[in-house]
Amino acid sequence: MAAPENLINLSLNAAAVAPEGVVLLAMLGTLIVDLAGEKAAAKWSPPISYLGLGTALILLGFQWNGPLEPSFLGSFLADNLAIAFRAVIALSTLISLLISWRYAEQSGSPVGEYAAILLAATLGAMLLCGSTDLVSVFVSLETLSVASYLLSGYMKRDARSSEAALKYLLVGSAAAAVFLYGASLLYGISGTTNLEAIGIALIDSPTPLAALALVFVLATVAFKIAAVPFHQWTPDVYEGSPTPVVAFLSVGSKAAGFALAVRILIGCFDAFDTQWKLLFTVLAVLSMTLGNVVALAQTSMKRMLAYSSIGQAGFVMIGLVCGTEDGFASMILYMAAYLFMNLGAFACIILFSIRTGSDRISDYAGLYQKDPLITLGLSLCLLSLGGIPPMIGFFGKIYLFFAGWADKQYLLVVVGLITSVISIYYYISVIKMMVVKEPQEASEVVNSYPLIQWKTIGLPPLRIALVTCVVVTAVGGILSNPLFQWANSAVAGTPLLQQVIALAGERSIG
Amino acid sequence: MNIANSTELICFLVLSIIVITGSLGVVLLSNIVYSAFLLGGVFMAVAGLYLLLNASFVAAAQVLVYVGAVNVLILFAIMLVNKKEELKPIKGLQIRKVLSAGVCAGLLALLIRVDLTTPWNLPGPSAIGEKATERIGEHLFTDYLLPFELASILLLMAMIGAIVLARRDVLVNDVGTGESVDQGLIEKTTNPILIDKRSTS
Repeated sequence: MAAPENLINLSLNAAAVAPEGVVLLAMLGTLIVDLAGEKAAAKWSPPISYLGLGTALILLGFQWNGPLEPSFLGSFLADNLAIAFRAVIALSTLISLLISWRYAEQSGSPVGEYAAILLAATLGAMLLCGSTDLVSVFVSLETLSVASYLLSGYMKRDARSSEAALKYLLVGSAAAAVFLYGASLLYGISGTTNLEAIGIALIDSPTPLAALALVFVLATVAFKIAAVPFHQWTPDVYEGSPTPVVAFLSVGSKAAGFALAVRILIGCFDAFDTQWKLLFTVLAVLSMTLGNVVALAQTSMKRMLAYSSIGQAGFVMIGLVCGTEDGFASMILYMAAYLFMNLGAFACIILFSIRTGSDRISDYAGLYQKDPLITLGLSLCLLSLGGIPPMIGFFGKIYLFFAGWADKQYLLVVVGLITSVISIYYYISVIKMMVVKEPQEASEVVNSYPLIQWKTIGLPPLRIALVTCVVVTAVGGILSNPLFQWANSAVAGTPLLQQVIALAGERSIG
Repeated sequence: MNIANSTELICFLVLSIIVITGSLGVVLLSNIVYSAFLLGGVFMAVAGLYLLLNASFVAAAQVLVYVGAVNVLILFAIMLVNKKEELKPIKGLQIRKVLSAGVCAGLLALLIRVDLTTPWNLPGPSAIGEKATERIGEHLFTDYLLPFELASILLLMAMIGAIVLARRDVLVNDVGTGESVDQGLIEKTTNPILIDKRSTS
């Protein structure tokens, strides 16, 4: 820390958090228009939040490949990795908001506060991606978590939503406490809260203590990305929370968790990389197996997607365990692909539940007769999640497996391939339900399907989000080259990752 | 060992015993009011430990925040929720208790082992005493500026969220269409209410 007389000359380099500043302004804007009443909030919150998130995305674009200087005296670093993850999070919030309005209005919940809390969650998640200090990691993690608890309990008249919020709050607080315990051990070992300095101190520190800190911190990361065995909250929270919130939690919150994993495990525990890679391999194998196998037995669409998201997190962890250039790039690429395909699937099931009030897989029977758009969109997104060519998910998955194979992670790749096949089975069975059933076999819900109309306030944005996600999912696979380049330059523009890759290269040669 | 050291040791032992027995009481007693008061005692004893470490600012903050705010809030919550309810006995509660006790004991053993095997570099940094407040202020406005500002957003959002969750009025009409709303999740697991409403109307 600088001496008092030098404090005046400190350069904060605060421009690095300009995108977060815009998101904050949008959050305050939605709160202010909300004062004018529910009608004004319903009219003005959407444009304000689009404007804020859109500007944030543009500002992130300007930061790409910018000069790398730590800002806020080492609390924050806007390297390309952070920018990529922040863009994924901002985009996931934008799409979640587009698909939320009709749902929130139809269930009679205040829209202005909903947008404000979701934007606060985004703010926390975005700051988490670039945090390079234990204190800012913890505070941004808590901002994300507390906002998520509030959002999952947002339908307060429904007991399931309250139950989800309470469960999430209790488990999440326990995880936060465990993280604090680990962080205090790290501070005790190194005497600093800066992740880079801790990483240096850990190189020659007492092993049992550092290993204990590693386990504690890893538990929190695993909780955030819902890796087995820290996944128990996921199905219940996903089932009870309002569906648009689940869409955000499954993409935005998970992306933040992966960014945290990279920052802490690679930036700080690099001296222990055999240990954490072993632990992460176990977590990935368990997640892929359990997530995909249990998803087979689900009857509720949201619960099925909850288990499938556990499995998908397992796939992404392959890239993290590799620790090679391709590994990191494939992780970022898959996260971006997952954003579109998962949010596309959620847009479809939200539209279906708005029109019918149902969420059971069996109620989708014969849907193609009544609603071709949902059928087509959901089919494409589920096929992509299962990894069927030529969707974007196929290329993402093949890149992950390729990176894993090149790094000799045979166990992970084989488990990944087998569980992918299992996942294709349950994704296809939903499509079969929608497409193959004859009109007389259609479910009651589909038989009494309301007339399709798009005029109601809140439905046009939902349609835009749905069509965008589905188009990107379907066409993105064929035109995936820009995405590959983007993911590779994200890795190339991150000194932290380059260091690790260089070290790994030296080890394999020597 | 001189008088100062032995006084410190005695204070430490007394405070530790209070913390350990108090927190065991918080967890194990079945009367929630006793637990709440014991929790207050534990917080006070922890503040005492901070004082022993010569961290008077942290001790004062501990008393103000935990005893003054958190614990009083817990007591208020207990007072307001004054409802007698017969809860269903949970199946296999004994086994669960034994299991979780086992896990906790294992964790404790692990922590003790790590504590004993680690070569701590003692004595640690010397306490700066009265200057601590100044130093904390400097940190908050230099290298911890970002988390400090973010904490204010966290508090703002938590406050708004608490108000939204606690207030009674949920909208009766859909803002967009003016139809009456279904005040809950839109997906119904067993009987889809929305459909019934539409088919009848």
